[in-house]
Amino acid sequence: MLQDKKVILCVDDEENPLLLRKLVLEKAGYDVITASSAEQALGVVFSRRIDIVLSDQLMPGSTGTELARQIKARRPDLPIILFSGVNEIPADAECADLFLSKVEGPATLCEKISMVLGGAITTREP
Amino acid sequence: MNNPNPISILMVDDQPGKLLSYEAILSELGENLLKASSGREALEQLLKTDVAVVLMDVSMPDLDGFQLADMIREHPRFQKTAIIFISAVHLTDVDRVKGYQRGAVDYISVPVIPELLRAKVSVFAELHRKTQQLERLNRDLELRVAQRTEELRASESQFRTLANSIPQLAWIADSDGSVFWYNQRWYDYTGTSLEEMQGKGWHRVVDPKHVSRVVAGIERSWDSGSSWEDTFPLLGQHGGYRWFLSRAIPIHEADGRIVRWFGTNTDITEQKLAQQRVYESEQRFRTMADKAPVLIWVSGVDKLCTYFNKPWLEFTGRTMEQELGNGWSEGVHPDDLERSLEIYRTAFDERRPFSMEYRLRRADGEYRWMLDNGVPLIGPENAFSGYIGSCMDMTERKLTEEALIKSEKLAAMGRLAGIIAHEINNPLEAISNAFYILRRHPSLDQEARYCADLAEQELSRVAHITKQTLSFYRESQQPVPVSLSDVLDNVLELQSRRIKANGITLEKQYRNGAVIQGFPVELKQVFLNLIGNSIQAMPEGGRLRVTVEEGTEESTRRQGIRVSISDTGTGIDPRYTKRIFEPFFTTKDTKGTGLGLWISRGIIQKYEGTIQFRSLRLSTGNVTCFSVFIPGLTSPRSVELSASLTAG
Repeated sequence: MLQDKKVILCVDDEENPLLLRKLVLEKAGYDVITASSAEQALGVVFSRRIDIVLSDQLMPGSTGTELARQIKARRPDLPIILFSGVNEIPADAECADLFLSKVEGPATLCEKISMVLGGAITTREP
Repeated sequence: MNNPNPISILMVDDQPGKLLSYEAILSELGENLLKASSGREALEQLLKTDVAVVLMDVSMPDLDGFQLADMIREHPRFQKTAIIFISAVHLTDVDRVKGYQRGAVDYISVPVIPELLRAKVSVFAELHRKTQQLERLNRDLELRVAQRTEELRASESQFRTLANSIPQLAWIADSDGSVFWYNQRWYDYTGTSLEEMQGKGWHRVVDPKHVSRVVAGIERSWDSGSSWEDTFPLLGQHGGYRWFLSRAIPIHEADGRIVRWFGTNTDITEQKLAQQRVYESEQRFRTMADKAPVLIWVSGVDKLCTYFNKPWLEFTGRTMEQELGNGWSEGVHPDDLERSLEIYRTAFDERRPFSMEYRLRRADGEYRWMLDNGVPLIGPENAFSGYIGSCMDMTERKLTEEALIKSEKLAAMGRLAGIIAHEINNPLEAISNAFYILRRHPSLDQEARYCADLAEQELSRVAHITKQTLSFYRESQQPVPVSLSDVLDNVLELQSRRIKANGITLEKQYRNGAVIQGFPVELKQVFLNLIGNSIQAMPEGGRLRVTVEEGTEESTRRQGIRVSISDTGTGIDPRYTKRIFEPFFTTKDTKGTGLGLWISRGIIQKYEGTIQFRSLRLSTGNVTCFSVFIPGLTSPRSVELSASLTAG
């Protein structure tokens, strides 16, 4: 079971929230790599092992959905969760596996990550 | 005795003594006495002078009285001159007759009685004087008649000149109506002659369709002596008819007798055509106006309405007679009437277009908002003839506008909510994460952990409120199977602390596992709102009942799931029943956002479902029930019949 910690690429332009989220996820047993922009994330995501991407939606430069589309273009298998403070779901959110509100809280976040990593596919299909 | 106007008396006798004695007798009369001693002399005198009376002796030597009388009478000038014979011899009746035959007017026998002679002569002198006066008078009269005739001739000629120069056809008839004169225009127009036209000849130029009426009418006038008027076509010389207004007036003598009829015929074809055109254009306008999809009215220069089109009358359900004048204002809503009339009057007086809104009662009694646009009617040469206006029922538009304003307000709210959500949720997440870590940190003592715990709880409240009020959130694009029982349990779990705190008894009846395709977060939000409201309505305790069952919607016969949440709380004021699903409507003062039920309904409508409620206020207490129906096939799991649970 613990042969490998899952690696999360966590993307957010705001430094403090990113840092605190990293801590929560690490407590939950993940390895966390951070990136402060979509561009930075793209520089990392294909060059090393990443099990799931958790990205903020609204960022300067490319948005979360744009990042998700670019990643899926090369790694359709890589799960991506979009994470936003704005609760409006963006029009092209379907490129991600899940769209999640930041206010759901850390417990829900961890739960969802685990769900997406562990067999979310089955729960998303009727 | 002096006579101011002496006449001449000629005395003829061959004896100078007699002449002297006659002179002596007659000198008293004061007339002019002439003497002749022979017939020849007498004739000379007569030719020189106008002699009134000749006094002559019958027996004179060369020319006796009878012979002289014959000669005098032959001359036309003396045929009426009085001749008195004086005869010394006894006159037989034969002599007298002879004398009378010669023109003698009287005989005087010798011896002459002076008084008698004077009297007889004086009679003839007077007669002559009178005759002279009569003749003078006659001459004067003749002169005056001549002058008058000349005047008349001039005046008649003036009249004819006048009659020929007027633009009308004119004619003159006898008192019995037989026409004897027409002016030149009559002949020019009809191309006829007096011979054809005189008397009743004019009948033939009257349009045969009108002739009997016209003749009957004018004959009534001839009989009654009252003036006549009629309108009919007259045949022109080129064969076409033109319309004429014909009039005749009687001309009276001083004694009131009718001596003439004077008539005119005025060509009114242009007016008639113009009238016809006006009539036709009016008809065209009415046909158009009646087919128009708007309500149309027309008013005159006195501001009173003169016309309403069919759609107007159909709309108000009233007759033209009822609406005319100011009648239409009876249908205007009393609250709008004064203002509308003011706008109308002011615009009218300034002759400018206006636009106003007012409520008008429809035939079914409902007041509808009308948009009324009026414009002044300005004819050729700037003649103002009133107003025309069109009205549209804009009730729907007004409602739509109101809805649009509302939805714009909401959109603005939405944008604002988005900005606030972003600015609050981001730090909120960071703080939540911080406390999440903090609370589990091993270095915390009991008190610090307690504080962190409280802080976390409070944060979750903040998170909840931002999620509920600032979001239209969906966690996923694809619907997933959702168990409504699970959702409800989840909500009740979240609210368990408040249910307990308020001392509320909870009853659950889940007759169906009720799994639908949906989005759990938003469904949770719906029931969180409904259950949250129920709990808030029962601060002093009560009964909360939550049921889930399969059902059929009565109005549509659709199959689906019905979730009912009922409470025994404060209930809903009937005044608010229409508004409680409106956005920003709240009965909770500052505590509520006024969005809960509105959002809930929006969510349920996405599922093509409905939310209904009923609130009964009874003496034994209130019962309020919100019922959510979500249509669709269900995939029932095991039927859970759960017992009533009592929390508290």
